[in-house]
This record gives sequence, structure tokens and C-alpha cells, in this order.
Amino acid sequence: MLHRLRISLAVGAMLVTSLVACKKDDTTTTTTSSSNSNPDPITVSACTSTATGIAKIVCLADAFKSQLDGTQVSTLQRTYAVSDAKKWSNLPQGLVQSSSKRVGLNFGSMTSAQIQYAKALIKEVSGTTTNEGWDEMQQLLNADDYLAANGGGSSTYGAANYYIAFLGTPATTGTFEIQFGGHHLAFANTYKDGVLTGATPSFRGVEPFATFTLNGTSNQPLQQEAAAFSAMLTGLSSTNQTAAKLSQTYSDLVAGPGQDGTFPSTSVGVKGSSLSASEKALVVAAMKTYVYDTDDTNAATILATYTSELDNTYVAYSGTTAMTTRNDYVRIDGPHVWIEYSCQNGIVLSGTHPHSVWRDKSKDYGGN
Amino acid sequence: MASLFRQPSHWLALLLLVLGRGMLPALAHPMPNSLVLLTVHPQRLEAEVHLPLGELQPAFQYPVADSTAGLVQRWGPQLRQYLTQHMRVQSTDGRYWGLQVSDLVVQHQANELNGPYNEVVASLHLLPPPGAEVRHFVLRYDAIVHQVVTHKILVSVRQDWAAGQVAEDATPTQVGVIGMDVINSVIPPLAVNLTAGSPWTGFAAMVKLGIRHIAEGIDHLLFLLALLLPAPLLVAGRRWGGYGGPRYSLRRLLLLVTSFTLGHSLTLLLGTLGWVRLPTQPVEALIAVSILVAAAHAVRPLFPGRETWVAAGFGLVHGLAFASTLATLHLEAGPLALSLLGFNVGIELMQLLVVGLTMPWLLLLACTSYYKYVRLGGAVLAGLAATAWLVERLSGDSNALTRALATAVPHAPWLLASLAIGSVVLYLRRPRLA
Repeated sequence: MLHRLRISLAVGAMLVTSLVACKKDDTTTTTTSSSNSNPDPITVSACTSTATGIAKIVCLADAFKSQLDGTQVSTLQRTYAVSDAKKWSNLPQGLVQSSSKRVGLNFGSMTSAQIQYAKALIKEVSGTTTNEGWDEMQQLLNADDYLAANGGGSSTYGAANYYIAFLGTPATTGTFEIQFGGHHLAFANTYKDGVLTGATPSFRGVEPFATFTLNGTSNQPLQQEAAAFSAMLTGLSSTNQTAAKLSQTYSDLVAGPGQDGTFPSTSVGVKGSSLSASEKALVVAAMKTYVYDTDDTNAATILATYTSELDNTYVAYSGTTAMTTRNDYVRIDGPHVWIEYSCQNGIVLSGTHPHSVWRDKSKDYGGN
Repeated sequence: MASLFRQPSHWLALLLLVLGRGMLPALAHPMPNSLVLLTVHPQRLEAEVHLPLGELQPAFQYPVADSTAGLVQRWGPQLRQYLTQHMRVQSTDGRYWGLQVSDLVVQHQANELNGPYNEVVASLHLLPPPGAEVRHFVLRYDAIVHQVVTHKILVSVRQDWAAGQVAEDATPTQVGVIGMDVINSVIPPLAVNLTAGSPWTGFAAMVKLGIRHIAEGIDHLLFLLALLLPAPLLVAGRRWGGYGGPRYSLRRLLLLVTSFTLGHSLTLLLGTLGWVRLPTQPVEALIAVSILVAAAHAVRPLFPGRETWVAAGFGLVHGLAFASTLATLHLEAGPLALSLLGFNVGIELMQLLVVGLTMPWLLLLACTSYYKYVRLGGAVLAGLAATAWLVERLSGDSNALTRALATAVPHAPWLLASLAIGSVVLYLRRPRLA
């Protein structure tokens, strides 16, 4: 509790500082976003009459490209290569090793209008649940703008350092991936012949972890993930909780960036078949906080698969069940699903911050 | 640059920079890693092992992450025991090496990737069993990783004389990463197979290091050049007189270079063997003073006829600075003898090259009446540089002038070219001396 109080106090102090700093700016500017690189809300009039599904995605992708100049398009649009798809990271681009740096076009090299088209497309392929899907990603952009303004520096942190790429040409036939990411965020939707074949790897992390305010908007992008995991673990019977507890320590994720296909051959923790219906419901609720980042239609299909495999899905954790202290770790490991969450020390700010990844053992990068 | 490297504080900062920025992003891993930095000697290894305290805590049963104050006093024996329990070095024939933990220190680290953190740094002596090779072994090291399964240990070679890796600022060569094999849930040992080395490679690397040391250590060259400036001139009372002729000039030049070489070779030998050792700062400050004295002598003859003794005397001081470079390598007897020779050969080669490239033009100019201005101009510049270095070395802080000097070094060839052209032009247009 004392620890949490300290975090709140620290964040509170920073907020006061940032508010004081903001006041000076407010006299000269009235923009709703922290910077030109993070316009919010999005106002794009294109493709409003186009129905839904892949047609709308292709329409929005083309609309985005039509806003760009030739050089920008050639940076954004690449031929599909799984080697490019694997270039994602939890780190800000500036700290990623040169051979693994993200490809594509960064927000910092786009106009505010162009970024709105990029955001409209990502929003279209994301879930609509509050604090999940697009809402969550917008809050993650806000978090990085917050970091940039509160000690991180804008050369490394902030929305300008997020990248979007088309791996393969968005179309109703053929393979393409819409790749979007930056510090603490990796989004990867792979389509084949108009069908979503993979919504993973999907990385989510955030600093600051505690609720913060940016330009009058309150943000808490991953608190409900932490809460759902905590509820899942505390909801376990004492026998099941003991079975779920790992003796080893996890200071980070096991299957983070660059660790493609590295899943344990033997799953650990408590097996789903030993869980009661209410315990299972809490596992599903925790999975939703990741699966619902995908567009609502596809999310329902994926969740149905994961739910049907619950009996062969393992839940394991290490540290405390709070999921807010350092080295708190949880994992949902099924025949397809792999969700991991790790609570770590702050890098720019004091207090802890979470990293998490959702992978699909056979559908990462659309199975490519 | 050279003075930068010779100051321990800068040296450490550079090392931290190399470790912090150069190596860690390779894993895209936000947690601080453990490091094993190997120094390869002909018959043994030294390992510097870094363990981040925050990561060590869950694996170590005593509280180490709370405070760094008195940490080594509190848990030194336990830390040593922990390290000996978690490190085994094995020869290819299966025999285990001797292992001894010597120094333990706690240091603070900070980089953009990990934020600030503290780590304990242990020095280990690793001794292969009789007849076993030092360049081929299996490292079984699982400190921290045995408990914190997401932790990574980066293993690098920092110095390997026989393979020619001796430069103190070189990035360590990574030879492997120790970590949990997630799929099979085991921590595989790391097989280290270093490429074959030879005494010749080590010797050649030391020649190169000597050359580099002089090329970057412009203070040594500046002393010699300032001393050589008035060498072609005769003494006329209390002033410098006219040109003494080619024979006179060459003889004096040769004497000065030889006595400087004898002086610094002697203390390089004594200093490296540990018979004479002075703290770095006064030696560096004295070197700046030596340039100041040589510059003043170039303005007015302060010690006419006794230049060779002054050159030898200050040579002794410069040699002590060279020795500190060799001493930091902690070489064993065999490599040390070859290194002394190689390093000195490198120093002399570079010194001869610079004297050979500079003096002909100065001798040409010495036949002209313009030489007075060249001599005085050179003396003033050398004096200014020496004063700036003296201030830097006494205060411990660089100043605008020393920073400017460091950036000017790469442009030295252009300076030399203009000197050559200028001297030829002035020589051809010289008014005949009486």
C-alpha cells in the first residue's frame, strides 16, 4: 500500500509540474493534442459510404496513401517479407539495435492530417471496447508523449517516434500486414485474401502505469489488464493458486521481441481442466483484455477458439497476485493462446510499469 | 585524445558508455544484463563479472538491493561463496579449472535503456589445470539465471594479447550469451573457443598501440618538436643566432631525439616492471611543464649546450606516462617483454616518422631570415597548448583550448602540407644571408 501511495504521490507531483508547464503553452495554442504528431480526435471523411470489413480496410489504406507524397508512400509500402514483420520491439526506435529497427513511416515525418488517416485505418482494424483496441493504443501514444515531456525527451519518446508500415499491398487478394508500433506498442494484423489470418504478435506496455492526465484527458491504458489478471489469480481456489505459482522469478517477458516461436515444450502452472466454471470465466475475462484489441468481429472468433481450448490451457504466475509490484508475472499458455504480463521497474519515471505480449502459437504473423 | 584516455575517470566513463550503449540493445532487453568480461593471458584468464543488484536479489538469499552502503563489508563472504557455487570452468577434457574471487566492488550504472541501477562487480582468477588449453573451455555460469529465468549474461572478451586485442578503448568482443533455453527449460553452458593467437600477433598489436599512442598523444610530439625548433641555430649571447649549417643541425637533431628516446625507454621499462611508479596526474602535469620549458627555450636559450640532458630528463617523465598504458594491461612476463619491445618500437617509429616529415622543412626555413617568426610562432603555440593542458591536468576539467586541440589533431596532415609548401616557397624566395 505504501508503495502504491508513493507511486501516486510521485505521479501527482509530476502532474502538477506538467500542468504548470502546460499553462504557459495554453496562452498561445489551443490544439487538443500534445503535439502535431498525436492528433486526437481523428477527423477523416474518407470511406464513410464503404460498408465494412476488408473493403473498408482497403479503402482506408488507399485513402491514407492518397494523402502521402511519392517518397512517403515508398517508405510506407513494402513488399511482404516475414523478416520485416519480425522487426518490432518494446523499445523506442532510437534504442533498437540497427538491424532490428522498425520499417515504415514515422508519425514525426507526417503532417497532422496524414497521421489522422493513418490513425483512422488502425482504428478500423482495432477493437472498440473502452480501454482496449484503438482507445488503448491512443492512450499508449499519450503515455509516450507524457514520458517525452517528463524526463524522457522528445528525441526518443513521444508519438512522433511511432511507425506504420504496409508489408504487402492492402487488397482483397494476396498477403499484407498492417504493422504499427513504437515504444511499448506493437500491432500486427496479417491478412490473406481478405481474411485476418493473424492479430499477433501484439505487445502492450506502459509507463506511467498509474493514471495520468494529458491535455485534460485521463489515461490508464493497461490498468484493466492488471486488474483482470489479479482477479483471475485471486479468484483461484487455494489449491489451484498453489499449482499456478511458479518458484522461479520473471523480471521480464519470456516471448518478447525477437523471441519468435520460443514457447516452452512443457507448459507449467495450473491446467484449465482443473478450474471451476467461475475460475475459467475469469481466465476468459483476462484473455479479453488482449483479444479485444482486435476488431470486434475477428476478436469474437479468436476468443471462441481460445475458450474452447480452455481445458488444455495453463495459468501460471510468479511474485504477488497484485500484478503491480516488481517481478509480478503471469502467463496464460494454451494450445494457441500465449499471453504474458510482467511488472518491472520504471525506466524514466519512478514506480513500476508493465510489459505484456499476446502471441498465437500458430498464427503469429498470420502463420507466415 | 590521448590525455583523455590516460585519465582514469574518462576511461571509466568511456567503458560504461561502451558497455551501456554498445552491447545492451543487442538483446532488446529492458532489464540490466549480467556481464562477464574476460581477459585472456597465456596461462590463465581473468573475469570481471557484473551482477545487477535488482536482478540478483531474488536469486540471493541476503538483502543486497536495499542499499549499496557497506554492501561488500556486509555480504562479501556470501557473495564470494555464491559466485564460486555458480561458476565452473571446464576444460574440453572435462577437468575443472581453479577459481578464485578477488575484488568485489559496487558501482552505479545508468543508461537510457535501463534507467539507473546498481551492480556488484567481482574480479575472478581462472586457472586451467596443468596441460589444459586456456583458449578452449566451457563456461558453466548461472548466477541470477538459476532463479531469474528471464535474466541474460553477456560474455565478452575484453583483452586478448595473443589475438592482438589490446587497445584499452576497444569494444569487448561478445563470445556468447548465457540464458534460459525457454523451449527445453535448461540453462546451456557456453562453449568458448577463441581463435588461435600468437606472440607475433601480440607483438604487432603492441607496435600498433605504440604508434597510435604517439599519433594521438600530441603532447609528446609537441615537446620534441618544440625542443627541435631552435636546434639548427647557433647561440649568440643570450639570444638565438643564425643557422648553424646542415652538419651542425643534423648532429643536434640526432642527439636530441636519441636522448629523449633513451630517457623515455628507461622509465617505460622501469615503470612497466613496477619498479618506478608515480601517480598519473603529476606525471601528466609534468609533461605539460616539459612542453612549456621547451617552448620557452625556443624563444630564448635557457639551457644552451645542455639540451640533450633536458631531453633525456623530460624523456624520463614521458616514459612514465607510456608505462601506465602498459601497466593497465596487466600482462604476464613473456608477453610483457614482447609488449615492451613492441610498444617502444611503435613509439619510436611514429616519432621518427613525424620528425622525418617535419624537420626537413624547418631546416629549409632555418636557412632563411623568416625562421625567427616560425620559431617564435611555434614556441607561442606550443606554450599556449602546454598551459591549457597544465590547467586541465591540475584541475581535472577540460577547457575550450584542450577540446579544440583534440579536434584539431585529425587535421595535422594539412598543417604539415602547408608547412612543406610554405617552407619551399620561402626558401626559394629567401634573401641571401651574408
